[in-house]
Amino acid sequence: MSVRRSYTAIVERNVLWDRDFATEPYEAAWASEAIFFVRALEVSPEFSGIARVQISADGIHWVDEGATMSLPTAKDAVTFCKVAHFGGWLRLYGELDDGASITVLVSLALKE
Amino acid sequence: MSAYSADPRLSRFDPLERVIFYDDFDEGIRGWSELIGNYEHTLDSMLPEYSDMRPPMLSNLTMWDTGTAGSMEGDYALKVASRARMGALATSIKRVTFRRRGQIQLECYFTFKPEASELRLSVNDVRAFGVLFDLQDGMNPEYRWMPHLRYHNAQGDEMINRWQMKSATRAFSKIGDSGETVSHYHLGPEHWEYIDAPVQTLAYNEIATKMNWHYLRINVDLAERRFLGFQCNDLIYDGDPLKYVSIPAMPNLNCMLNTLFWVETNRDKRAFLYVDSVLLSGEF
Repeated sequence: MSVRRSYTAIVERNVLWDRDFATEPYEAAWASEAIFFVRALEVSPEFSGIARVQISADGIHWVDEGATMSLPTAKDAVTFCKVAHFGGWLRLYGELDDGASITVLVSLALKE
Repeated sequence: MSAYSADPRLSRFDPLERVIFYDDFDEGIRGWSELIGNYEHTLDSMLPEYSDMRPPMLSNLTMWDTGTAGSMEGDYALKVASRARMGALATSIKRVTFRRRGQIQLECYFTFKPEASELRLSVNDVRAFGVLFDLQDGMNPEYRWMPHLRYHNAQGDEMINRWQMKSATRAFSKIGDSGETVSHYHLGPEHWEYIDAPVQTLAYNEIATKMNWHYLRINVDLAERRFLGFQCNDLIYDGDPLKYVSIPAMPNLNCMLNTLFWVETNRDKRAFLYVDSVLLSGEF
């Protein structure tokens, strides 16, 4: 019996987002499904924010995939977003309001 | 004809008696993980140099101008990618242990490139890449020792194209407050020494989206603690044993046999190291 390959990459760890943000490009052409998990390690008071999934043909030029997710609003809270049929590269992108900040751990869970 | 040469996937390698691992990345990530520094209670306690060593990925070498190249043997290679910040470094490590203190040999095929984000030569945009072993004796250990081999590609605008070794590292730092955890950073820019080997200009091939695969072999003797030499393509170093970092044995690392690849960027641009495949063999 063969099993489906899977891999989780920690694409950001203990990183502060306090204005425009983008996770590092991650290549995942081998995978057919993905979940971005965002865990808040710290958040500013009354924080709210949105992240958009972006895809790319080359890891350099990016376009919105259409999926969005609310970022967690409390310490240790987790939010997630599922994507499939995404081609070769994935990242999260977003813009935060002035004064809003969040320190994140972002996991990208991939599966064949 | 050896059994190895009858297998087209293995005939490009010259392994010692036994294969410890053979990783073809068409089959997955195969134990190559991100390196992280030691910490206690909070990630903020980590040495800052270890905080962001980037997760490896499986790449099919897709380029914006020519599409997918695939790896040397199949579709996927292990890719280590730095951030786009001058001096940033990315790693991938595989951790095993040995069962006999004999000779070991690492072989791989690799290629390296900057991110193809500019339409110019970019030949000096990758500063360096390297391979190291992190080793410790087994029973009654005396030493932890770390042979490093670094290809210094460029520094600033200057092409270097020389191989380096390292025999000194930074002091250990206490991590947290329990007294149980320490850490030291050994991949800093200090203490590199040029190996007495010729300048070796590895084929870059004109633009950032063309990759040529290169052969690398490294030999180490675990019993005698000797860093014996290396080969990269047609450069064979078999002179005096090379220098390595040596420190007193640590409490919980016996028989450690870790292998690590890394890449460093010379610009505010991502640097990529690709590996396909990697074979560790030994006498045991």
